[in-house]
Amino acid sequence: MRYSTKTQLLSGSAIVAAGLLFSAAAMAQNVSIAFSASELGATAYNPVAASTLNTATSLIYDRLVEQDADQSYHPHLATSWEETADGMAWTFSLLEGVTFHDDTPFNAAAVQSWIASYAGTENEYLVEAIGSVDVIDDLTVRFNMDRPEPNLLYNLASAFMGIPSPTAFAELGDNFGVTAAVGTGPYELQSFEIGLETVLVRNEDYTWGSDLSENTGPGHIETFTFREIPDQSTAFLELRTGGIDLLLGVPTDFLQILEAEASIQIIQMPGVGISYMPINVTAPPFDNILVRQATGMAIDQEGIVAAIYNGVGAPAHNFLISSLPEADVDPALNVRYNPERARELLEEAGWVMGDDGVRVMGDERLTVRLYTANTTELTRLTQVVQAQLGEIGMEAIITVFDSSTIRDEYRNNTHQLAVRSYDWNNSDILDWFFSGNRLGYPNVSMWQDEEGQRLNDIAMTESSTSAERIANFTAYHEYVLSQHLFVPIYQPTQNIAFNSDAITVPDPVRGSRFRGQSFMDIQIVE
Amino acid sequence: MILRYTFLRLLMLIPVSFSISVVIFMIVYLLPGDPIDNLLRVGSSPEDRAELVAQYGLDRNLVVQYFVWIGNMFQGEFGQAIVLRRPVADLVAQNLPYSLTLGGLAFLFSSTVGMTLGTISAVVRHPVLDRFMRGFILLGSTVPGFWLALLLILFFSVNLGWFPVSGAGGWTSLVLPVLTIGFGGVALVARVTRVALLDAQREDFVTLLHAKGLSSGTILFRHLMPHALLPVVTILALRIGWILGGAVTVEFVFGRPGLGSLLIRALGQRDYPVVQACLLMLALAVMLGTLIGDVAQASMDPRIREKKS
Repeated sequence: MRYSTKTQLLSGSAIVAAGLLFSAAAMAQNVSIAFSASELGATAYNPVAASTLNTATSLIYDRLVEQDADQSYHPHLATSWEETADGMAWTFSLLEGVTFHDDTPFNAAAVQSWIASYAGTENEYLVEAIGSVDVIDDLTVRFNMDRPEPNLLYNLASAFMGIPSPTAFAELGDNFGVTAAVGTGPYELQSFEIGLETVLVRNEDYTWGSDLSENTGPGHIETFTFREIPDQSTAFLELRTGGIDLLLGVPTDFLQILEAEASIQIIQMPGVGISYMPINVTAPPFDNILVRQATGMAIDQEGIVAAIYNGVGAPAHNFLISSLPEADVDPALNVRYNPERARELLEEAGWVMGDDGVRVMGDERLTVRLYTANTTELTRLTQVVQAQLGEIGMEAIITVFDSSTIRDEYRNNTHQLAVRSYDWNNSDILDWFFSGNRLGYPNVSMWQDEEGQRLNDIAMTESSTSAERIANFTAYHEYVLSQHLFVPIYQPTQNIAFNSDAITVPDPVRGSRFRGQSFMDIQIVE
Repeated sequence: MILRYTFLRLLMLIPVSFSISVVIFMIVYLLPGDPIDNLLRVGSSPEDRAELVAQYGLDRNLVVQYFVWIGNMFQGEFGQAIVLRRPVADLVAQNLPYSLTLGGLAFLFSSTVGMTLGTISAVVRHPVLDRFMRGFILLGSTVPGFWLALLLILFFSVNLGWFPVSGAGGWTSLVLPVLTIGFGGVALVARVTRVALLDAQREDFVTLLHAKGLSSGTILFRHLMPHALLPVVTILALRIGWILGGAVTVEFVFGRPGLGSLLIRALGQRDYPVVQACLLMLALAVMLGTLIGDVAQASMDPRIREKKS
């Protein structure tokens, strides 16, 4: 059979045009995302054993329950749950027809083996109240508790409680999450180049999204490419030039510039952490509570929010984010700026003003070591803190460390003050940073106190109901505040920016963080 | 003769490699911080720590650890990354091609463009061009890489949209990093080429060649260039180390993978085996670069191989 030149040219053009259209459509089905700075460096997608996880994890694994922005809990792989009156047993009914990416079924046996896999891992604390797990039937499971745990649903909604395939988990051993990651989530891990990018591809069988997403599955987008861009300025420019479609964790500095861009939209969500200054109570002069109290009163939280963060976010006056009920403490205990009172307290402690504006006691000058980690935001905040401490006659010498060295310095107890931050939206963060069992790091305040530990134990292990837990943690929080172990500074917002010419993003965002449930509703702009 | 010279230079690399390996091995132990702390669960007992230390062989005598390590290196066994939890060889293999591509292209760019500019500047001795070249050379030698990188991104990626801001997808993502690393090299090579050509032009044999009626082009390319190339080759050999070192910051700004990025990440986590492997690879590259430069010089100038051999 022979074709004329004209026919051949026409056919060729049609094929090329179809190819171009097809490739454009294929390209359009990918959405690129840059992780926030705090998410960089995850070494494995293993929720059971990893100490650092990123947002992509929430698309690979589903959880039994989900938490909404208003702190309420919603069914996901567990359709319902029931707690006995004494809090000593929880029964979960599981969703039918769910399969892992390796086609093995999700059922009660999978849950039983998953809970057991936490033994001996960094994340064991999440399940430590669970004594045993009984398989009632294929889709019903009962957790028999060693003690009541009102925080169980919070733990189950955590990214660290994504459920992996028991078969893959056992087969891959230490390589689970490194060479492959198998969950029931809406996206499957296609490739993971550590420190570079993670590509997720749509799970076409997925139909079991939670009610936090409008779309219950499969996802609208074919592939998500999550990129690790270490330099925040570069990530910001990538968004401006269309190199990425979504930037998780926009630094507050960039908000004003991004707001001026017509194609960029910003979503601000309530923050899940605070910036603060722990005080080492074992290092003189901070072994004197008056000096600690004065230090707290030297910091002008409102001024910092206005000057450094352009009014974005909120001042922090105690250790917990304001959306937690345990943050509602006796107002007198909140830490507030009062430089006059700070100066009086230092005088009371015996520190008198020297000729050069630095206080002295005998031959000793009030000069202290102030540590921080080498991020732009923290170093800038530390410089402002240094200036404000100078206003009450305290000379602070700043030393900036990398994240590994600074922990070593804390453990070696060489610090006096430090400026740092945390991200956690649960009051058990108080135990993490102030328990006497973790001196040095994370207990940077080096605080060991009998009464404190008693209140900690009650809050952590002796609360039977949610209300009781709130009351116990509030009491512990108030005691911590009364000891002046830290200075709260700032509550940032979670800032997410996206290219509205390229994608649409659910509005409002459900959930406490922008993760799996929000990605399910992302769509390409037609 | 050249083979004997090369062999002798290779022999000299043995004590140098040994000394470098000792320094690399020891340097990570002098760093503050500990990879075991990154692995230990918070609140772990000293017994848990001791168990982990023993598991990674960090409880043994340093000399024993060194010989175990160097023995493994000889067999291509880079070990297992402590924090990154992968075979170090895999991590190096994954990142090395990116570094070699970037370094190789930056080297090629700085040599060809530098030599061309240096030659033009030496031949066309115009005061305006001369001033421009001097300014360019001064700028190229002093502008910090990370700043230049941001300027290039702003101009070529943000304003013109010609190249991607970051990443490692395709040849377009290589242009700006290559320009950033190569810029300093271009200035240096141009300066050395220019000075070497100007010196060579003052030699008596050049006057003789002109008297014999040879064209300027023939004199330049056939007679002057071989003379001028000697110092240029020396500089280029030394640039190999500089290019690989400079790539560390450039990889960071452009969000590119590579040995530099891997080294920075491993240093932050005190992942000793990875840090050691990266440093060793970079040191080997510098040594090989110097060796190639020396051999090239010797092949071009018989006095060198006679003196040194």
